[in-house]
Formats: sequence, C-alpha cells, structure tokens
Amino acid sequence: MAGAPAEALRRVPLFADLDDDQLAQVALLFKERDFTAGETVVKEGVDGAAFFLIESGEAKVTVRGAERASLGPGDHFGEIALIDEGVRSATIAAMTDLVCYGLTLWEFRPLVIANGEIGWKLVQSVAKKLRNAELS
Amino acid sequence: MTELRPLAEVSDTSVFGSKAVGLGHALRDGLPVPPGFALAGPLVEAVAAGDEAAVERVASAVRPLGGPLAVRSSAVDEDGADASFAGQHLTLLNVPSADELGKALREIWWSANSDSAISYRKRVGLFTRPSVAVVVQVLLDPECAGVMFTRNPINGADERMIEASWGLGEAVVAGLVIPDSYCVARDGQVRERRAGLKRIAIRGLPGGGTVEDEVAPELVERLCLAGSRLDALNELARRCEEAYGPDRDIEWAVADDTLYLLQCRPMTKMGGA
Amino acid sequence: MTTAEASAEPQFAPPGPGFWEQDPVHFPRALTRYWTEVHPEPFARGTADFASFYGMLIGGLAMAYVNGIAYKTVRQVPEEELPQRFARAEEVFAHKLWREQLKAWDDTFKPAAIAKHRELQAVDAEALADDELVAYLGRCRDHHAAMINQHMRHTASAVVPTGDFLAHVGDWTGLPPSELLGLMRGASPVSAGASEELERLIAAVRADPRAQELLVSDADAAATLRELRAVDGEAGAAMTAYLELVGNRLLDGFDISEPSALELPDQLLQAIRTAVDTGVGDSSVETPIAEVRSKVPEEHRESFDELLGEARLLYRLRDERGVYSDIWASGIMRRAVLAAGRRVTSSGRIHAPEHLLEAGFDEMRALVEGSGGPSADELAARAEYRNSHTAKDAPATLGSPPPPPPDPSTLPPAVARLMRATGLALGALFGSSEAEHDEDRLRGLAASPGVYEGSARLVSGPADFDRIVQGEVLVTVSTSEAFNILLPLLGGIVTDSGGLLSHSAIVAREYGIPGVVGTREATERIPDGARVRVDGDAGEVTVLV
Repeated sequence: MAGAPAEALRRVPLFADLDDDQLAQVALLFKERDFTAGETVVKEGVDGAAFFLIESGEAKVTVRGAERASLGPGDHFGEIALIDEGVRSATIAAMTDLVCYGLTLWEFRPLVIANGEIGWKLVQSVAKKLRNAELS
Repeated sequence: MTELRPLAEVSDTSVFGSKAVGLGHALRDGLPVPPGFALAGPLVEAVAAGDEAAVERVASAVRPLGGPLAVRSSAVDEDGADASFAGQHLTLLNVPSADELGKALREIWWSANSDSAISYRKRVGLFTRPSVAVVVQVLLDPECAGVMFTRNPINGADERMIEASWGLGEAVVAGLVIPDSYCVARDGQVRERRAGLKRIAIRGLPGGGTVEDEVAPELVERLCLAGSRLDALNELARRCEEAYGPDRDIEWAVADDTLYLLQCRPMTKMGGA
Repeated sequence: MTTAEASAEPQFAPPGPGFWEQDPVHFPRALTRYWTEVHPEPFARGTADFASFYGMLIGGLAMAYVNGIAYKTVRQVPEEELPQRFARAEEVFAHKLWREQLKAWDDTFKPAAIAKHRELQAVDAEALADDELVAYLGRCRDHHAAMINQHMRHTASAVVPTGDFLAHVGDWTGLPPSELLGLMRGASPVSAGASEELERLIAAVRADPRAQELLVSDADAAATLRELRAVDGEAGAAMTAYLELVGNRLLDGFDISEPSALELPDQLLQAIRTAVDTGVGDSSVETPIAEVRSKVPEEHRESFDELLGEARLLYRLRDERGVYSDIWASGIMRRAVLAAGRRVTSSGRIHAPEHLLEAGFDEMRALVEGSGGPSADELAARAEYRNSHTAKDAPATLGSPPPPPPDPSTLPPAVARLMRATGLALGALFGSSEAEHDEDRLRGLAASPGVYEGSARLVSGPADFDRIVQGEVLVTVSTSEAFNILLPLLGGIVTDSGGLLSHSAIVAREYGIPGVVGTREATERIPDGARVRVDGDAGEVTVLV
C-alpha cells in the first residue's frame, strides 16, 4: 500500500473535514519518513522543502534556542515555509524516535490549491498560531 | 523492464542519473567497477511511497547479487550545475540483503528531498523537483580506500592528489580521519607522501550497517599505499581522464589485491566560483 | 608509588617551596620512575651552569615530579652574587661568550659524547652475564645523566643569540618572531634530519639500482632495512653508518619509555625514502634575508648583519645539544633496559619486557639479580598509570605565584638585554607561557582559501545544530552530510579530522568560506563562543583574545 494509512490522516485536524474518498486520495501522496531520537528534523533559517505529520513519537520546537512547544502524534509542522517559500521559522528536533508522514513542496502546493477544505483548515491553523505568537 | 537495469547496460542520464551512467560507461570500458544495478527515479519513488509491487520487483532483481550491498543515489539533473553536491547524496553502506532495500531506498529518496538538499539545488539554479535514481552494488570489504582528484584542487597544479585510509572510503570522504596524502605527477613521480593519523576504519557489520573500528596503533601512522599501488592509481587516473575528460573526482578502493573504481565524476570549480 | 596509592585519585602537593609550573611542551605525559630519579640533579646542575656562565638573574631551574608529572621552578640567585652576575652579563654581548661554548661543544663535548654513545651501543647486552648486565645498566645510566647535564649546559647558547636577534630586528621591522625565525633556515641541517651520514646515504642509494629497488618495495619495513644494510658496496655501508648514527635516537620526547628510530621501521624507512626522493631541504634563504634587511632602518643594517650572523652560527646548537646528548643516550639506556627486561620476563619475574622501563634504577638491578624489586603486577600498574595520565590531567601550577619579574628599566642595560633575549627566544622556540608569541594558534590543512573572523561554535553532532546562528565558525571533529543543513549559515569551517578531499573541505570550497581541516585538536583548544580567525590560505586558526 502506497502512501500513509488513512487513519493517520483522519485524526489530523487539518484533514478532519475530508470525506473518505478525498482522504484516501490525499493519503496516497504521503511518504513515511523516520527520524532517530536527537536528530534535527528541520533547522531554523534554512529553506523548507517538506511538510510533516507525526504518526508516533515526540518532537521539540525551539526558536533561537528557546523552547516553544512540544509536538506529538497527530501534530503537523512545516507548512509555513511551504506556503511563503521562505526559510524555516523554527528548529524541530526529535526527542524520541519519530515516525512521520511527509509531503514535499511539489505535492503540497497542488493539493492545497485543488482542495478548498484543506486550504481553509490551513488558514485557520496559521491564524491560530499567529494569535499564540508561535511561528512554527 | 526499463526502470531497473544491470549497470553495464545503462547510458541514459536523464533516466538513471550521472553516477549510474558513469559507472556503466566505466564497466563497458573495462574499468574495474563492482557489479550492480541502476534503478530509475520513478521506480525509487514508488518504492519510497510504499508500493509493494515496486518493492518486490526491486528485491527479486537484485537478490542474485547476494549481500551485503552499497546503495547510492545517482542524481539525474546535476551535471549542468557547476557544483559537487558533495555529501548531498546519501550513501547507504552495508545493506545486508535485497530484502532491506525498501527501507534503504526510502531513506535515500528523502535525503534528496530534504530541506538542505532542496535548498542546495536552488542555490545552484535548479528549481524543479529532483528525480532520485539509485545505484545498488556489491559492497566491498577493502583493505584501504579513498579519493583521488586528477588535478590538485587547491592550486590547480597538474598532479594527482590522493587521500587514503584503512577500511571503507567513507573515512576519507566524511573526513573521519586525517588521511594519508600523496601527490603524484602525471609521469608517476611521487612528489609528496605524508602519513596521516588514521585512528578509525569504517567496516561493515555482519547484520548490516557499518561500524567505526579502532585502528591498531602500529597502523595509525603507517602509509596505506606503497609505490605499486600509486602507480596503479595513476594509471586509473589516466584511463578515466582519457574516457571522460580532465579533472576527475575519483573514489577508489583496494580489496582482494584489486584496485576498484567506485565513482568517477567531474571535479567542480574551486571555492569562490 | 604503590598500587594502593595508584588506585586512589592522585594528590598534587607542591614538591618544594616556590612556584612550580608544568612543562607540557617537553613533557606532555607522565614520566617513568627511572626518569624522575635520574633527571632532576643533572638538569639542575646544567641550568645553574648556564645561568652563571651568562650572568643571568636566576640561579638556575629545577625539575621535580609529582605523580610522574613534570613541574619546573626557577631558582633564585643569592643576593651576594648579583654584582658578579651584572658584570658577567656585560661581557656576554661585548665578547660574544656564546662562541666559547660553541667551540667547546664542537671541539670537546660533542665528539666525546658521540664516541661514548658508539662505545655503549656496540655492546651486545644479550651476551652479558647477570652481573655484567647490571654493570652495563649502570654505565648507561651514568652516561644518560651526564648527557642530560650536557644538554642543559648548552641551552642558553642556543637561545641567547637567537633571542637577541629577534628582539632587535623585531623592534626595527615590526615583524613577528615566527617570521624572523624563517631566516634561520639552512643554518641547522640537523633540525631537518640532515647529517653527513644522510647525505652520503642519499648519494649512495641514488647511484645503486638494487638499493633503489629495495627502497620502494612493499615488503615489511624492518626486513627491508636489514636487506638494505646488507647490500654490497657503498650503499650498504652508507646505510649501516646512517643507522648507527640515528638508530638509537628517540623519535620524540626524552624518557626511556619513548620508542627509538629502529623500533619504528616504517617511519624510518619513509624518512629515508623522502630524503632520497627529495634531497635534504632546500635552504635558499638569501631572498628572505634581503627582504627583511630592506625593512631595517639604514643605520641599523650593519648590526642586523652581525646579529643575524651570530644567530645563524649558533642555531644548530639548539637541536644538536639534544640529538647528540640525551636523546641518543636515552635510546641507549632504553635498549639496555629492554634487553634486561627480556631476561627478567623469561625468568617470570615481570609480565613483559617493556614493564622494566617502569622500574627505578635500583629496582631494575634488584630484578636482574633476583634479589627483590617490585612485583610484576606493580610494574604493570605503573605502565597503566602512565598510559592513562597526561599533563592535562594534572594541575597547571603548584605553589603560590611568584612576584612579577623586575622592571627591565631599573636594570643595567646588558642585564635587561639578556632577559629580553632569553624570554623572546624561549617563547618563539618552545612556546612557553612567558612568550609574547601567541600560543592560541592551531595548524591544520589549508582546505579553502580566505580569512574570516567570527565566533566559534563547538558542535558535536545534530543535537547541537540548534546553537549555530548566522555568521559563526563551525568547530567540530568532522562533518557529514547531516551538517549540510548548517552550511548556508556558516562563515568558516574548522575540523579536527579530515583531509583536503573530505566532505568538510569540499563543501567549504564550494560555499566559498575559509576552511581549515585536520587540526587534530580544534575541539579541545578552541573555547565555545570564542572569537577566532580562520585563515584558509595559511591553514591556521587563531583564538583572538
């Protein structure tokens, strides 16, 4: 079976409003990516190329060395750099072994453009992050 | 099947990437390259996505090689860019058998699609998505290995610069040791011979993967290469230049008393270009 | 030190009154018990000798050993001797007293030492009976002590004219000692490993096809050296003469625990190959001398010529006083102790021949005679201790800090001149802490050109990547593709390991940032956050204060 398991996407708020067919289609675009504990997943200041969901494990978010948040199963990260084609705004490091599903820029963008539901959810989640002054 | 071929048969860089084609070319020229297969970009992507049919196709084709295997990415569109992409490509050494290839190929696909790899591509003017072709070869168990540039990369002098260390060439490529350094003139005269400090050797583990072994004290500063090997390397340099042009970046290894060519690609411009 | 003491954390108390400092340049590791017993007296005597010969304001130096680590102190001159010292200092420069010592060295000390070395090394220790072996060990020990004294006695002569040159020419031209020392090139063939014997050997090998063939063979180095000695005619004779000159020289350091040249045949053979391939150092130094001379104000140029002449004349003494004295004698003692060690091992009293190197002289005698001495385990424990304890594990200083040295402007001119010359020379030649020479400089391979100054960031792996910000200098053991993620941020790269064709070197050149690789110890010597200058043209990294 190619892509991510549908259940992995189902519990991600970003995809919560998709029906089963849409979800299955989106799931196909993902590829599993694993990180070992301690590995830097993304580094602040570097161009971003992929968006990730966490399937299992924990990650830590830091900005300029200061810890900002913890991420776990169901959380996602990395979309901001893909939206504005800028650099990563935070560093994310795996605290434990991490299993993620990822999309690169070349799958993410067409997906968001084609699917208004996903686009709207993304806009909402970014707005929320802005309010929490947590650029991630 | 057009997406998976024995190395000796590939010649299309837009499908198999320049590493695979370079090795294929070398094999056809009779140069000493370890046997293997080339996998095209779309096939590697399918395996990375988890497509079971693709995974099985690859495993059964490669199984006759036995194990262990070295798996390296082979970039499809980087020749035009004037960049070495050094370290941008993941190499997985000592994948124990064809059955572990699925995971290996996925890791390689992601390394080519990582933030730093994509950022690097943009820096050198490539804005399209990478096509990640791969080379799978028999993994050697070398006595010593390393890198040779057929021109001095620091001052551009017309001489071969060779760096060598014990075990797999990773130790030299990844800079894990201070390697032996040799400068050999085109006519074979040894201009410089400097023993390094080679405390570590990378070797394959029986169950897969590699390990950093401590080198025996009497070998740490012993030269890896004596005169006859330097002659053989100089000859290899000459043959590669003849076949592909000047300024070659060559990875080599000595195993079972044989000098092998692991990679031959163009040197890039020196720093500041 | 007993095994019981060895297992507890060693305590470091000052070995006597005064201020004691380590000498990690000469003694980076713990020393053998034999050394700690033999060294101090001839060292103190030899240094007192040169201090009085030159009218220096010190009584001499003393060396003591605490838990096997070397500490040095400066002995005061008794006040009643001061007038005598001042007078003597005047004579030093007026009469160029160092020339006297050089003449005595060439005419008396050096030839006598060489004759004694050859006499002792010609003895076949294996063939001696136990009591003869003990007597032989005693002769080697006494000779070693005499040679230590000889080495120290000639130290000031090696140092004063050079330092005087550096001081004056430094003032006139503003050039640093490191550059000015370049003008000494060719003045000391022995520093480059050269000698008549080596020149003879090079000529002989180049003229003999059989010798050349042997020299480049891939066979075992020790066997190759034996075969080279056995070659008919001049080549074999020259090889034998050369090996007799250098074979028992310690390759590094001074203690009997250090290997001698013949024990490291690969290195020895490699050195011979290099010498035959490339000849003995090109010592053309005329152009640099002319260049520096042109920077000297005209009214001082005659003095420049004179000072340079004296410095170059004496420069070879710096290495000769070691190589023809205790570096050779220590190798001879080592050889004797190893022969005794083999005998004592085969009678089961110690575990391995090298362990006898850990015994004090009386203990060695007792073990050979079978009359007692430390146990096999005790000696093994001492070896273990020495292999695991370096100068870095011990306090840098012991005792209370000394008062500052006298203000030179209050001293008679000759005395001040002497002090300055000595201080500068010691700093430039030996990197001691009294130096104006900055010891915060590391050397490696010049991997990528350019010079960059910025903050150093020590990164041991991906877990630290977070800490790097734009414009910093990466300092790490080695880089891998995992580090690529940092490259856009960096101003420079410095590594412990790696060659010019390694990942770090290649990416530094590609990104156009200065890079120095293969420094061996950047991660140990560069403090995190320190401001550093990375010079990728010279292959140097300097920690800026």
